[in-house]
Amino acid sequence: MDILFLLIPLSVILVLVILGGLWWAIYSGQFEDIETEGERILHED
Amino acid sequence: MNSASLIGLDEPTEWEKFSHVVSDANHEWESHVVVEGMHCAACAINVEKALKSVKGVTNAEVNATSKRARITWSSDITKPSAWMEALDVAGYPALPANEIFNLDARRKSQRLMLWRLLVAGFCMMQVMMYAYPSYIASVGDMTMDIKNLLRWASWLLTLPVMFFSASPFLSNALHDIKKRQMSMDLPVALGIVITFLVSTAATFEPNGWWGSEVYFDSLTMFVFFLLTGRWLELRMRNRTSGALDVLMRRLPSSVERIQSDGSIERVAVSRLKLGDVVRVLPGEAFPADGVILSGETRADEALLTGESKPVPKMLGQQVIAGSYNLMAPVHMSVDQLGAETRYAQIVNLMERASVEKPRLALLADRIAQPFLWFVLVAAFGSAIVLWSGDHGRALMVAVSVLIVTCPCALSLATPAAMITISGALARRGVLVRRMQALEALTKIDTVVFDKTGTLSQEGMSIGQIRVKEGFDMNQALNIAAAMASHSLHPVSQALVIAYQKLHGETHAAPLTQVKELSGAGLIAESEFGALKLGSARFCDLAQPSGEASSVHLVSESGWIASFDIEEAAKADAVSSLHDLQAAGYEVVLLSGDSQPAVTSFAKKVGIQNMHGNCTPQDKLTFLQKLQHAGHQVLMVGDGLNDGPTLAMANVSVAMGQGVPLAQAQSDFVVLNNQVSMILILILQAKRTMRIIKQNLIWAFAYNIVCVPLAIAGLLPAWLAGLGMALSSLLVVGNALRLSSLPNEIAREV
Repeated sequence: MDILFLLIPLSVILVLVILGGLWWAIYSGQFEDIETEGERILHED
Repeated sequence: MNSASLIGLDEPTEWEKFSHVVSDANHEWESHVVVEGMHCAACAINVEKALKSVKGVTNAEVNATSKRARITWSSDITKPSAWMEALDVAGYPALPANEIFNLDARRKSQRLMLWRLLVAGFCMMQVMMYAYPSYIASVGDMTMDIKNLLRWASWLLTLPVMFFSASPFLSNALHDIKKRQMSMDLPVALGIVITFLVSTAATFEPNGWWGSEVYFDSLTMFVFFLLTGRWLELRMRNRTSGALDVLMRRLPSSVERIQSDGSIERVAVSRLKLGDVVRVLPGEAFPADGVILSGETRADEALLTGESKPVPKMLGQQVIAGSYNLMAPVHMSVDQLGAETRYAQIVNLMERASVEKPRLALLADRIAQPFLWFVLVAAFGSAIVLWSGDHGRALMVAVSVLIVTCPCALSLATPAAMITISGALARRGVLVRRMQALEALTKIDTVVFDKTGTLSQEGMSIGQIRVKEGFDMNQALNIAAAMASHSLHPVSQALVIAYQKLHGETHAAPLTQVKELSGAGLIAESEFGALKLGSARFCDLAQPSGEASSVHLVSESGWIASFDIEEAAKADAVSSLHDLQAAGYEVVLLSGDSQPAVTSFAKKVGIQNMHGNCTPQDKLTFLQKLQHAGHQVLMVGDGLNDGPTLAMANVSVAMGQGVPLAQAQSDFVVLNNQVSMILILILQAKRTMRIIKQNLIWAFAYNIVCVPLAIAGLLPAWLAGLGMALSSLLVVGNALRLSSLPNEIAREV
């Protein structure tokens, strides 16, 4: 079970990385207007 | 918006008001505008396309929800007037968003709140995973090393939850301690801190007096539930207060003023003066009360008068500030500005009503304070009692007690419902002036109506018609209506309407040379010879001694027909009064008019109990008599002539669009003039009180059940957190049911 000593710290780092992703999503406005983006595909450019 | 008015925006000092520099190198600016005329997400995409097609616009983002666009452009290549015009052409006129800095602050706080929530949620999941093995492992399965490793990992991921996600609770609590006041965040913060300290100590020194148990999973879950609860609550509240909010933020920030030389200049609404002429574009709100000077359009006055259909606005007609111009550009004069406008009065009323607390809310507030102290004492007490055993466990029981109590449900129970119902009523054209009155309204048993302006309509209607032997009544009415259609006199209009009600369009009776003799009557030529329509004197008839006034139709050979004139009852008066009586309310009609007129009117609308010839003093005495007999009286008046009576009644409703709102003495104001709103109002008041009672009962029951459970140690901290969050959500959600008013009066008394 020694592998856990590597995997668990790795999982902590992974969580922090994902949190970083969430931070980016929130502060780039991903959650501000949820409807427009969904309809964009219906409009040809 | 024509291009001339936009040129003004090309001055750097002007565009700086709604823009800021992004990069100095290529003179890139970021501007914010409010886009009008967007209805859906698809519109937002069209607006973006229109903007991006302009050369020099490097980026455009449009938010369909907030109706705002952010445009990045280079001042070397383009000017604001260029892309503003492109928007115009696309059919979405835009206005500079001067209040953008305000909005930025709000968006920032919303993002931060969501970020806190997501950090708590994500860390909670991972901490749960680390905690899981110790729940399922049997003794000896896990080595001490692994156990410690998992605990350290949990501790590490608890740190952001503790110091970032939960920081609002902690800082609020600190603030309250400094100010020596009790608040709801204090027990919560105390619970969080104790849990964190106990678990941290156990992680790094498992052999201390605090025991070896860690509660990181409970802690993160608790914070997550709490934040979720507050987040949802905020969103629900935003939704309901939306109606009020929309109304209060209606006036445009700038408007097109016509200069004396005929050119158009865009100025801030605050710079308008009385007597100015402004052009209002479709999609814009009228900035002031005034009169249409040229053009015709339709206006959306729904939130101001409760009239849900667009109202046609012709030359010379009144428009009100805050209503929307829907169809075409019009010029209007500025007759009333700012605080003088009806719009400002409505907003003022609503603001005042929304800060007033109803009696039940005050009661709940009074209970909440001592209740919080009780919680602290109970938590402390249970910790002391259990101290002799496992110290760590004793502390965690105290934490559960601190967390599970939900005083917020108690103090939210009433205001949440009240805010919701006043928003819902406002959308239907009823303003709540005094929240307390909602409670009083549920006890009403008698409804007293004033006649003029309340049940009766402006204008006249035709009552009984008498005709000469051998003459057809319809024919007489047709001739009279055909003559009357040449006149604008109220009685003439009543004749036309009476005929249209019976037969649809007015038949063109063979008439020639119709002429109106101002102030007397009408004359015309026809197959019956020269005709006269008018008063008895005009028609050379003996003044009849009868009760009602009437107009007469005579030919050269003598009298043909007489039409009795009556006050018209409002369209929905008869059915609404019937509904009220069917619901068990005693309906009384009081009027200052002559007894015969009142009698015939009462008969028409179906009221048995009526009194004519009432002086204001008589009305007061009558009301007092009713109240002495133990009745709870709702008085419905026009708010102008019956101020004292309205003030005297247990609950009062002012009716009619003519009410000067600032002076109206009533508890409610019905803006849309519908009599049916009275019963709706009573039913909704009952529903509101019912929901408030449910909320209060729930809040009490929840606390009474859960506090002993927590003291007994049966509630783990995470479950306590879930319970508390759900409890306040339940209360707000229950109140939210009030936001939908039934379209028809549901038979749910």
